Amino acid sequence: MRPARLFFYIVGMLLVVDLVMYAWNVHNERLAADGSRAAIVTAALGLTDLCLATEARYTRHPVLADGVVPFMDYPGEIEHFPTGSFWAPPVRFGRFPSPRQL
Amino acid sequence: MSFAKQLNILDYALQGLWRRRLKTGGIVVIFSAVIFLAASFQFTIKALNNLVDQDLRATPEIVIQKMSAGRQESIPLNYIKKLKGIWGIRRVVPRIWGYYFDATTKANYTVIGLNYSKMPMGGLLDKALIKGSHLPGPGEALIGTGVKEVLRLPDKGAMLSLFRPDYSLKALKVSGVFMPSTDILTTDTILMNLPDSRDLFAIKPGLVTDLCVYVANPREVTTIARKIAARLPDTRVVPKSQIKETYREVFGWRGGFASICLLTAIAAFIIFAWDKASGMNPDEKREVAILKVIGWQTADILSLRFYEGFIVSSLSFLLGCTLAYAHVAFMGAGLFRPILTGWSVIQPRIMLRPALEFSDILLIFSLVVPPYMAATIVPAWRSAIIPPDAAVN
Repeated sequence: MRPARLFFYIVGMLLVVDLVMYAWNVHNERLAADGSRAAIVTAALGLTDLCLATEARYTRHPVLADGVVPFMDYPGEIEHFPTGSFWAPPVRFGRFPSPRQL
Repeated sequence: MSFAKQLNILDYALQGLWRRRLKTGGIVVIFSAVIFLAASFQFTIKALNNLVDQDLRATPEIVIQKMSAGRQESIPLNYIKKLKGIWGIRRVVPRIWGYYFDATTKANYTVIGLNYSKMPMGGLLDKALIKGSHLPGPGEALIGTGVKEVLRLPDKGAMLSLFRPDYSLKALKVSGVFMPSTDILTTDTILMNLPDSRDLFAIKPGLVTDLCVYVANPREVTTIARKIAARLPDTRVVPKSQIKETYREVFGWRGGFASICLLTAIAAFIIFAWDKASGMNPDEKREVAILKVIGWQTADILSLRFYEGFIVSSLSFLLGCTLAYAHVAFMGAGLFRPILTGWSVIQPRIMLRPALEFSDILLIFSLVVPPYMAATIVPAWRSAIIPPDAAVN
């Protein structure tokens, strides 16, 4: 077999593997969306955040956390939780607290 | 340039790469690893954003919290009366929730107390519970799988003992467990009714943690949020749109931060590729010279080098992306778990579903393949213009 053909076979095989994985995932996604249990829980408990990190309240509920939370336990405290290093600073908090800022 | 000629050059390029298989294999492995990392980050960010889109679509339209001295504090129930008269508000549901740190296990739980029958889809909540569970009545609690596992509770007849602020014990019977498929939302959750949560946190009557506001027309959410903020100036009003925006920003920051780290790795790899491609050994120089002697043109040598670069980069790209997809979709991005969860004792089982678009693939491709091709083009040109006699002599 000439090398070019072998190369195309390998590339084709990898593409087929990719397609199978993608199709399997899309199928699972449809099943998950169909169950809609997540939607029920979110609506029934009024949830606003994903439960990704449970180590600190500002990374457990970033949507509802105060901007000062990482530093509020005592004066001069530094932010020290690992997930906090990668969490976006809550710059937009304060957009809705008063009519002047609307 | 005929197709057959190009195919022959491709064959020759493949044979050449196979002759130098140790060097080629090393480059493919390192290149694939760099692409794997870059693609894994991209796929993870995409999957997390998909999770937010799907799982948080039924979130309350507006959440109201009272602020004092820059901190959130309990909101009086009589604030609900102040909202009367705002046209478009369908329902306001008070809620008590907070965090409970378990000193024994070092785990943080999220305790939620509300009258779920007043919430949308509250009547369907039992569909999200495992078999044998029922919704909590007075003195009962519904827990997430993470809480059950960390406390090592039995399947039936479990009791939950939590401390009130004055260290007196509050015992709750576990009425059931949330389904593992809702882990990404409920794994650290303890759900109970409003009086029990008030008792646990010792919150005075007439106060709650926040108010969930439901609006009749979703298009009026921003207007109503504005009106609420005007009527209750000491509150923070969080509309639904802000939830999505926050997460997009949060994951964007993470993705961006990771991309900067990865750019360093990509830059290092490109320097490595440049070095490998430019440092031609005498055998390679002799090979070019012989090819020229037997009639190959400079353009043919350039084609040869282009094919070599293309084979290495495309194979690495496919390998890296395939491994990255399997890593994210089937292993829940296990390599990034320490970044995502930090010191969390309770960690959810994350099922990531990276619904990719062509643009995502193109982004990764353009981040890694063109820089590699560009890094090898100048050395390729240098090798193609070697005078045959100089190399042979």
